[in-house]
Amino acid sequence: MKSKDLLIRFLLGGAAVMLSYLVTVISPWKILAGMFAAFPAVMITAVLMMGIASGSKNAAKVANGSVYGMIGGVVCVATVWTTLTISNNWLFSIFLGLVLWLVSSIAVSTLRERMMGFNIKHAKHAMGSMREPQVRQNK
Amino acid sequence: MAGLSISALLIRFTLGGLAVVVSTLVARKLGEKAGGIFAAFPAVYLAALLTASLDFGGTELISYSILLSKGAIVGMAINIVIAIIAGYLLPRKGWKSGLVQAVGCWFIISIIVVVFTSY
Repeated sequence: MKSKDLLIRFLLGGAAVMLSYLVTVISPWKILAGMFAAFPAVMITAVLMMGIASGSKNAAKVANGSVYGMIGGVVCVATVWTTLTISNNWLFSIFLGLVLWLVSSIAVSTLRERMMGFNIKHAKHAMGSMREPQVRQNK
Repeated sequence: MAGLSISALLIRFTLGGLAVVVSTLVARKLGEKAGGIFAAFPAVYLAALLTASLDFGGTELISYSILLSKGAIVGMAINIVIAIIAGYLLPRKGWKSGLVQAVGCWFIISIIVVVFTSY
């Protein structure tokens, strides 16, 4: 059932993020706390759920997509940091950061897919050009 | 050891859960790669900022948020590497082994980075 599936995902995702926060608060070792503050709990949960539901190939696609999202994450944090420094407006800085997270993630993803498409097209064209003299000779 | 805040736990639980649900819905509508973008939604970072707003205000909140951002950028950079590693390992080793190995890589890289930035 769709709703039950989404509820399970909500609970698991929430629990994963909550647990990594608990480690940062409860851990007597500062080093562990620092590490778990940036634990990619949501990505791992999403990949895990996709692996269970649809197998390794689709789980890998989620991981590939999350690279673009993580790049967007760097843009988001940099934007929040810069905007906070310049404007001192907390809410606006976060809002702008989140918007730029989405925009930059999509932009990087689109650019990468286009580059990959261009490389495949270029490789096919090169292969075709190499084969043409062979085909002419065989005639 | 800092204090445990119920509101901090709830904010993280809600944002983490929502991020996974939205990622799933986007994956169903637009494909797995698009879903992956939302799987990388900066939920933990946003939760940390929102929690900070409960404890601080004014210039203190701005300074603390800037401090959070400095740490978060390092974490995000590590996560980019881990996502690339996961994308490489999962089709080759299967999603179970691949994910375990990716988390292992995260652990090792994080320890190295934290040790280097501490000293």
